[in-house]
Amino acid sequence: MLRILMSAVLAVGALPAAARSASKNPGIFTYLTIADADSVDPAWAYDTASGLVILNVYEPLFQYDGTSTEKLLPLIAEKVPSRDNGLISPDGRTYTIPLRKGIKFHDGSPMTAEDVRWSLLRFLLVDRAAGPSSLLLEPLVGYPSTRGDDGEILAHVWNDVNRAVTLRGDDIVLRLPRPYAPLLSILAAWAPVLPKAWAGKNGDWDGGEASWHKFNDPSKETSPFFDKANGTGPFKLERWDRKTKEFLLTRNDRYWRAPAKLQTVVIKSVSEFGTRKLMLQAGDADTIYADRPLISQLQDIPGITVLDDQPTVEMNPVVFFTYRINQVANAFVGSGRLDGAGIPLDFFSDKDVRKGFAHAFDFKGFLADVMRGKGTQATGAIPKSLPGHDPNGRTYRFDLKKAEEHFRKAWGGQAWEKGFKFTIAFNSGNLPRQTVCQILKRNVEALNPKFKIDVRAVEWPTFLDAYKASKLPVFVMGWHADYPDPHNFAFPLLHSKGDYPATQKFKDPEFDRLIDAANAETDPSKRKQIYAQLQALEFEEAPHLVIVDAVRYRTQRDWVKGWFNNPIFPDSPYGSYFYTLSKD
Amino acid sequence: MLRYILKRLAFLPLVVFGVTALLFLCLQFLSPEMRASLYIKDPRQLSQIESVIEKYGLRKPMPVQYALWLKEVAHGELGYSETAKMPVSEAIRAFFPATFELTLISFIPIMITGIYFGVLSAVHRDKFIDHFTRFVAITGYSLPSFVLGLLLLMVFYGKLHWLPPGRYTLETDMLVHAEGFRHWTGILTFDCLLNGEWAAYVDVVKHMLLPAATLLYISVALLLRITRSSMLEELSKDYVRTARAKGLPENVVIYKHALANALIPVVTLASLLFIGLLGGVVITETVFDFPGIGRWGVQAAQQLDVPGVLGATMLAAFLFVTANLASDILYAVVDPRIRVGD
Repeated sequence: MLRILMSAVLAVGALPAAARSASKNPGIFTYLTIADADSVDPAWAYDTASGLVILNVYEPLFQYDGTSTEKLLPLIAEKVPSRDNGLISPDGRTYTIPLRKGIKFHDGSPMTAEDVRWSLLRFLLVDRAAGPSSLLLEPLVGYPSTRGDDGEILAHVWNDVNRAVTLRGDDIVLRLPRPYAPLLSILAAWAPVLPKAWAGKNGDWDGGEASWHKFNDPSKETSPFFDKANGTGPFKLERWDRKTKEFLLTRNDRYWRAPAKLQTVVIKSVSEFGTRKLMLQAGDADTIYADRPLISQLQDIPGITVLDDQPTVEMNPVVFFTYRINQVANAFVGSGRLDGAGIPLDFFSDKDVRKGFAHAFDFKGFLADVMRGKGTQATGAIPKSLPGHDPNGRTYRFDLKKAEEHFRKAWGGQAWEKGFKFTIAFNSGNLPRQTVCQILKRNVEALNPKFKIDVRAVEWPTFLDAYKASKLPVFVMGWHADYPDPHNFAFPLLHSKGDYPATQKFKDPEFDRLIDAANAETDPSKRKQIYAQLQALEFEEAPHLVIVDAVRYRTQRDWVKGWFNNPIFPDSPYGSYFYTLSKD
Repeated sequence: MLRYILKRLAFLPLVVFGVTALLFLCLQFLSPEMRASLYIKDPRQLSQIESVIEKYGLRKPMPVQYALWLKEVAHGELGYSETAKMPVSEAIRAFFPATFELTLISFIPIMITGIYFGVLSAVHRDKFIDHFTRFVAITGYSLPSFVLGLLLLMVFYGKLHWLPPGRYTLETDMLVHAEGFRHWTGILTFDCLLNGEWAAYVDVVKHMLLPAATLLYISVALLLRITRSSMLEELSKDYVRTARAKGLPENVVIYKHALANALIPVVTLASLLFIGLLGGVVITETVFDFPGIGRWGVQAAQQLDVPGVLGATMLAAFLFVTANLASDILYAVVDPRIRVGD
């Protein structure tokens, strides 16, 4: 019996690996990832996992032309405004956008110009804390939030947004308080068109002045758009199963362009890499998410293509320090005091603590071992793919002596004497971020036996909620460009109203001043100088720790056709704009 | 027998009180704010934490808090699980049926294999079959489940394309979510049968075979060893010698006389095994991407999702109490001395 069993196992082992030339399920495309989405409401979602679904289900006014991050094509709009075609006024403050006709939503109702106007207004007015609304509030009304520092809604918001977004016949007219060069790029990725009537029927904002306050900064799950979608895009959201962490998209056969070649798209979260890899090998997945350290396990497998050196417009991973931690129901801060069993809530407001951490990180080791030599150490928040990047910016070096010097000075010597204990978090399944946490833990704990750091993997949506609530003392995340402009890195990473500083509770007027000045500056060389100043200040203050300017790779079955990498797409290069894809 | 069962049932409220009191005491190590967060769904509600503390009486004397908490638990109000992104009671309803199915499909083969080979091993002591079964048992016991799971996946899925991971294929997914499909029991295999969907039934079972095989291999070892040692002890007793001397067929001696007496420790182990499987088999569920209660419970623990952990613990405690009662009753069935003594 033993011999029979042994022979059977050996025989099975000798079988060739699956290298099928024809795809297993020609009309079905399956993408296996590690993160479930946060919400599919385009006015709420501000993470890549959610953005991937939105990209394929909804449509904004414009789209990027193939791999270009500069050239735009009309999508819902009929033309891309320019000064040449007269759709941008000579003073650069009025944009007239003619809209395409004959487009229908997934439920069959026709899309109107009023739907477009309402969608833009909703995107501006929902303005959830640390959400995407600031992307359009800034250019269209000149301020990044509908609420003041006291959290109260500003009285003039309604008039301002209605002045900024109007209809002239079937054209949308946008009036800006001042010229804003990246506006069209923003409109190529954000504020897609939603159906106003469907929203009203399902309990969302009806467009009226009287009710909009109720929908400002809402709870995530209160909107019908949270888990349902009715867009104009090439795919319909059939189902989001939160139990199995799976999205099912089906082809929109009434799409206004030719229908997609794929009939069904499955986006599924599978946390175990071994399972993802086996499903790719077996042909049950067409592409999978895999971090840089895993590339050697995916190369040279018959039937599988690894496309390396894909450019990115991102800063990832970044270690963020929370200056004022939210203590309420917070298990990440230990005792909440500097007593060796916890940290005080403003522990990271001390610059020496942050610098201690910065010098305790082994950048070279991380680049060599985790990134497999791909990429370079980041010199500031603005990546090298964008203007404004300062290649000569100062960087931290791994130096445990310097780290110790800073920790000895921190909190008047109390931090060194009493020690501390807290938890660093990263989103589960993300290997580079996990390694960043482990390197920090190992090196900082080695400095003083009284320093204790726990590392905890947290599921993506839970992680987002904890981070938004400012409950994470130190967390590792990244920033993927919303539009290709340095302001989109400077603002969310360093401005007090930006996505990260707002949750870190980091506020420095000098940072804000420089960012606002750079954004208003139209002379590229002067703008670059301001950004260089900003990045010098970033080094000095160290509100976060940028690590690597990276390139990425994509793994897919070789029967996948039509994929192109636009680094602006959410979840690029793993996720896809599925419309162009097909399988042999 | 009935008296014995009733007596055991009478103990049940006492056990439930003990379990809930223990869980409640564990909760008291958390601050009122942390306990209030059990009921919070949206992180922005944290600013109104005082009103939640007030609503649930979290600063009241401990006995009052306990009574209020029990009332909430009795109404199924176990809080909101951040990990599952749904209320705990809903999460249990969502994840438990998958684990229950996996338990059912694994447990019976585990019992049959464990007992059969345990007996075989004892009867053929120090022969090839004894050495072989012990070897298989020891490797199963010492092999980490994720290694075995991945190995099985590599062979039966990666190479042979027979048994895929996950819960079901896309076709079954579409079918079970279609309007016409009625979820009679919440247990997918049963529901597929009740809806007359044979292909879907086969598909669901196919997806459970590898996790079930993993569980079988890693769980059978202990059962096999206990059955073997218990059988060896019984086989050396006088009544077995007497039975053989009377000329009873060997099968009758082994299976009717010796095995019946050897089953008492096996029943205890089987009930613990059953609870263990029902409580969720974390690694197996993770490797096979099987959306069960174990994977959720561990994710909840990793992410400091207190309501999730509490819900999973309550479920495990409830299962333990129930299985314990069942094993007490089974004792009485297999060993008349117990019911007579009572």
